[in-house]
Amino acid sequence: MGIRTPANRSLLFSRRSLLRLLGAAGSTLALGAVAPRSGAAQQSSAMPSFTGPGASPYWNSVGPLVSEPQKAPLLLLTDRGVQLETPRYYFQTAFTPNHAFYVRWHLEGIPNAVDLKSWRLHVEGNVAKPISYSLADLIRKFPAESIAAVNQCSGNSRSRLQPRVSGGQWGNGAMGNARWTGVRLRELLQAAAPKTGSLQIQFQGLESGGGPEGYGSHFFLKSFDLANPVLDECIVAYSMNGEPLPMLNGFPVRLVVPGYFATYWMKCLTWIRVLDKTDDNFWMKTAYRIPDTPRGNTTPDDVKAGIVKMIPVNRMPVRSFLISPDVDAKIPAGMPVQIRGIAFSGYGGVAKVDVSTDGLKTWQPARLGEDFGPYSFQTWEFTWTPKAPGRYTIAARASDSTGNIQPDQPVWNPGGYLWNRIERQDHFVGAAE
Amino acid sequence: MRLGKRYFALLLGGSLVLVLVAGLLLAQMGQGSYAPGTLGHLQQTPPVALGDDSVYQVSAYPLYPPELAEGEGRAETEGFCSLCHSTRYITTQPPLPAATWEAEVTKMRKTFGAPIPDTSAVVIIKYLQAHYTLDTRK
Repeated sequence: MGIRTPANRSLLFSRRSLLRLLGAAGSTLALGAVAPRSGAAQQSSAMPSFTGPGASPYWNSVGPLVSEPQKAPLLLLTDRGVQLETPRYYFQTAFTPNHAFYVRWHLEGIPNAVDLKSWRLHVEGNVAKPISYSLADLIRKFPAESIAAVNQCSGNSRSRLQPRVSGGQWGNGAMGNARWTGVRLRELLQAAAPKTGSLQIQFQGLESGGGPEGYGSHFFLKSFDLANPVLDECIVAYSMNGEPLPMLNGFPVRLVVPGYFATYWMKCLTWIRVLDKTDDNFWMKTAYRIPDTPRGNTTPDDVKAGIVKMIPVNRMPVRSFLISPDVDAKIPAGMPVQIRGIAFSGYGGVAKVDVSTDGLKTWQPARLGEDFGPYSFQTWEFTWTPKAPGRYTIAARASDSTGNIQPDQPVWNPGGYLWNRIERQDHFVGAAE
Repeated sequence: MRLGKRYFALLLGGSLVLVLVAGLLLAQMGQGSYAPGTLGHLQQTPPVALGDDSVYQVSAYPLYPPELAEGEGRAETEGFCSLCHSTRYITTQPPLPAATWEAEVTKMRKTFGAPIPDTSAVVIIKYLQAHYTLDTRK
């Protein structure tokens, strides 16, 4: 009973047995037993609509799956500005599909349409030769450069913080890895010939909001020092995983800043502006700032006391994630299972991933998958054969080539940035006989 | 042909009944257990008319307005907050201390320039504190 093999299915579905069942049981009895009832039962089987005051125990954020243009169903944080999280199962591969790539806008005025006849990428400001490029110019006039790079929201995993902080309550899915192809930023800059006395380079996309001019609610602007070496690695990308960028991920071009948090990866990039002063707009001076401390860690008391020096968020600390099996899989004792995951670091590539199956007491190295470069997701795998029934805590810990090892201590800062504590999850191993 | 169709319908209906009856009989064995699901909440976005011109477009971004808690100040909160963003920015937050909600409204006004008059700001802060703090969130 209960085992649906092809043999007994065909037996059950024979015409004679069907007729017998129809006659004997009667459709009313059967249908009545599972007739849809009102909302109560439905809600009790859905996720909660919010988490807190404790840390969210879930891998992903808790919002409903929603439809958005050019996207598979993603998890909703907010609908205007659009913020969508990628479900866990899309991270089983090193590259995140475009249709599943997470979305995070700041302001409501984002493009539904772009006319490439009039759209130009402008390089302007404190330059000798201001230039504007059409998309065709970018594709034809410059050598195409490609890089695999992780794009991660500064606030990824914000729902883990204690005490909780306001802001987008992301689970772990505000990240994605893609192969980005486009033009080297340095080439565009050199062609415009920045004048002496230039200090910073500012990026602006096709994003605007209802707030007054001069406020962060009007334009979203990000800047780098011209001396920042990351500019040598930046790409103005018109291709994402070999396809045009989805509108929600920044069509026609976005800035790719390998190793840096996504706040700098300007979507729908349209203005590259050379500045002869330091950018003091809201999105640099006030927002996206972290304590100038190890791991960006501080306390609510120190913030209140006003003794925390803040700096702009920058590179992504090393992280690793358990992707499968999911927590809802109970594992039969004695059966080998593959624990799979991904890892990355903004500080020069993943050197090693260790796995623990005994609650972080002992660690063993995982097998690393194909290497797509220092800024890519690095897949990994570990074969685990739990011998006896019980409750097991499995965990993954990555180290990068700079020597940073993921710590088991939490992080707290008022913006809810830089979370990179060791990920863990509990599994029940059951008796197999 | 006709017979075939009827047979097919019978087979289909029969299978359904079979599954349901089996569910009843086998529920205690941990088999065939179903609960009512939620249909219709995930409509696809409509297609857009595209041509071979230079315009690249997508359909309108769908709005998914949440239901704010009922109570005094809801209309002001919905009205003023929605000027710039969805009220999901409220409902997706964890329970926040009363002082944090006051700071949020102040930030919207001072830092972001939201045109919320003093009197309405007081109403909105009271509303958020009455429904979205540790003590009050349901």
